[in-house]
Amino acid sequence: MTDIRTESNARRVLLVGDTTLDPLARMLDKGSDAPRLQTFAAPYGQVYQILLDANHSAWSVRPETLVVWTVPHLTLPSVKKLLLCNFASAPEEYDAALREAEQFGEAVVAASERVCQVLVPTWVLPTHERWIQTLTWRHGVGVSNLLAKANLLLADKFAAIENIVLLDAAYWHASLERPAYDPRMYAVAKILYSPQLFEKAAAEIKAVLRGTLGLAKKVIVCDLDNTLWGGVVGDDGAQNLKLGAPDPLGECFVAFQTALKAFRSRGILLTICSKNDESLALSTIEEHPAMILRKNDFVAWRINWKDKAENLLNLAEELNLGLESFVFLDDSPQERDQVRQILPQVYVPDMPASPSLFAPFLTTLNCFETQGVGKEDLERTAMYQAERGRKEALDLSGDVDNWLGSLQIEVRAAPLRRESLVRATQLLNKTNQFNLSLRRLDESAFWNWSAEPNHSAYTFNVTDRFGDFGLVGLASFAVTGSEARIVDFVMSCRVMGKKVEEALLGYTVNSARAVGAEQVMASPVEGPRNQPARSFFASKFSNPDVASIDPIRVLIPPQITMKEES
Amino acid sequence: MHELTAILNDIRPGQDFSKAKNFFDQGMLDSLDLTTLVSALEARFGVFIDVDEMVVENFCSLSAIESILTRKGIKV
Repeated sequence: MTDIRTESNARRVLLVGDTTLDPLARMLDKGSDAPRLQTFAAPYGQVYQILLDANHSAWSVRPETLVVWTVPHLTLPSVKKLLLCNFASAPEEYDAALREAEQFGEAVVAASERVCQVLVPTWVLPTHERWIQTLTWRHGVGVSNLLAKANLLLADKFAAIENIVLLDAAYWHASLERPAYDPRMYAVAKILYSPQLFEKAAAEIKAVLRGTLGLAKKVIVCDLDNTLWGGVVGDDGAQNLKLGAPDPLGECFVAFQTALKAFRSRGILLTICSKNDESLALSTIEEHPAMILRKNDFVAWRINWKDKAENLLNLAEELNLGLESFVFLDDSPQERDQVRQILPQVYVPDMPASPSLFAPFLTTLNCFETQGVGKEDLERTAMYQAERGRKEALDLSGDVDNWLGSLQIEVRAAPLRRESLVRATQLLNKTNQFNLSLRRLDESAFWNWSAEPNHSAYTFNVTDRFGDFGLVGLASFAVTGSEARIVDFVMSCRVMGKKVEEALLGYTVNSARAVGAEQVMASPVEGPRNQPARSFFASKFSNPDVASIDPIRVLIPPQITMKEES
Repeated sequence: MHELTAILNDIRPGQDFSKAKNFFDQGMLDSLDLTTLVSALEARFGVFIDVDEMVVENFCSLSAIESILTRKGIKV
C-alpha cells in the first residue's frame, strides 16, 4: 500500500484485461493534462492470475491505481456459451454466468487491498456479439438481462469497499460517433477497441484520477449574453431575450441553465462575469420568468465594463480560490482567447457554436469528478453566501477584535472518525495555503495512519453566528517518548483571518501534552503556496533553528469558544 | 510526405523518419505502433486497410506507405 504521493511524482497505473490495452496505456501517459501518469499494461489474458496472486510479476511496478477492464464473453466463460444460442442450456449458462461474475468480483476485492484505488469499467458486450432482440432481455436466459444483473452484482459487491469504483463503460461506447470496436485490430493484435474508444476511456479515467487527487475544478464563471440566454439584454431588452419555450433556441438556453444548476447542487460554485449594466443584468436574472438560475444560485459576480481577465482575478481574490480552480464559459471566441492568454491557469474550453449543444457540452467537461459528494459540497454555495454576510458585518463594525468577538465563533474538536473521513481527506488533499506538511493521502491510507498507536488525528468544525463553516480544520501528531511532532495541520481558507488557527494550534498542543509530550515540534514543508502556514508556525518557534513550539506563544483566543467531542 | 512524417512523429516523437530504410528493423516502431499507424492513416485519408495488408512490409518506410496509399487511390 502506497503512503505518501506528491504532485510531482507520476501516479503509477496498472492495466489488467483480457484484451490488449497497450494503446490505452500510451494515451494515458501521453496527455499533457494533469495528473501525470506512468501506466503499465499487464500481458493480456491473465486477469485472474494477476488479481489473485500478489506475487505475479505484474505487481512489480507497484501500482497505485489498478484498472481492470474485461470483456464479458472473455472473462465469464458462461457468457460465451450463452452467445452460442443453445436455448436448451441457456438457463444453466445464465446462472453459471452470475456465479462467475461473483467470483470475478471477489478477485477484484482481493486485489483492492494491494492498491490505493481500483477502477472497473462495467461490462459491455461488443455490438457485433449481439443476441436475438426479442429474447435478450428475458429473465433467466437473455444476455442483455444477464449483463445488467452482473453489473449490478458488482455494484453491490463493491459498495462496501471504498477504494473500488465502477466506471460507466456503456457511456463511453454510446458517446462515440465512430465505431467503438475494430475486429481487424483484434485479429491482428488482440486490440478489441478502436482508438476513439481508448481516447474516451483515457479521458474518463484521468478525470476520475483528478478527482481523487483533489485537482477537480471548483468554480464556473459564466458570461450572460448568448451564453445563459439568447440575445444581448442591454440592446434587446429582457422581454426580447431568447429564453424558455416555445422558441427552440430559448429551450436550449433553459437546458443549459438546468445543467448548470445541477453542478451548483453538487457543490460547484457558479459565478458571473459579464459586460453589462449590473442592475439590468441582476434584475433580468431575478425577474425573467424563464430563468432557471436566480441570483442566489451565484456566489459572486462581476458585471461591469472592465476587462474580463481583470474581473476573473478579482473573483479569485473574493472567493479566496486559485485561478486553477476556475472554468470560464463564454460564447465569444475573442473573450476566451484573451482570458487564455492572460490567465493560462484558468480552464477555458471552446464552447460549441450552436446553443443546442451547450447542455451536452457541459457534461463532456471532464474536470469536476470528485471522490465523493458530501454534506459540505451540497451546502457550499450557501456557505459562500454566509461569508458575504460576515464581510458586510466587518465593514460595519470597523474594529477587528470587536468584530471577531461579535462573530461568536465556536470550534468543535473531535477525534477523526469514519463519518468525517471523506471530508477530512478532501480537506487534506485540496488545501494548499494553510497546510503545514502538504501530505496527500487517500482515505484508507489516512485512516490507517491515524489508527496507529502513537498517532492522533483531530478534526475541527467551526460555526459562527452567520452560519456553519463545516469541517474546516485537521491536525495530527505523532508521539515518540516525550516529544510530539505535528504531522498535518490543515485549515480551510474559508476561516482564515479569524484567528481560528490559533484555537486549532492551542487545542493540538494541549492534546499532545495530555498524552505525555513535553515538547511539541512541527516541521513546515516548503510548498509553492503554503506561505500562510509556514509564517504562522515560524511565529510560534522561539528559536527559528529549532522547530519547537514555544508554549507562551500558543493561546486559544478568548473570543473563540472551544468545544470538545470525545 | 510531410503529412506522413507528422503522423509518424505523433506516434513516436523525436525520431527522424524521413531518411530511415526500415522503421521496424531499425527499432523506430514496434508492432503496436503499426496498429496505431494504420488507424491514423485510415482516419486521415479515409482508406480501409484490411487484416492481410496490416503487415510490416507495407509500412516500413515512407515509400512503402506512399505505395500502399497510392494503390488505394490516395496521393500523398
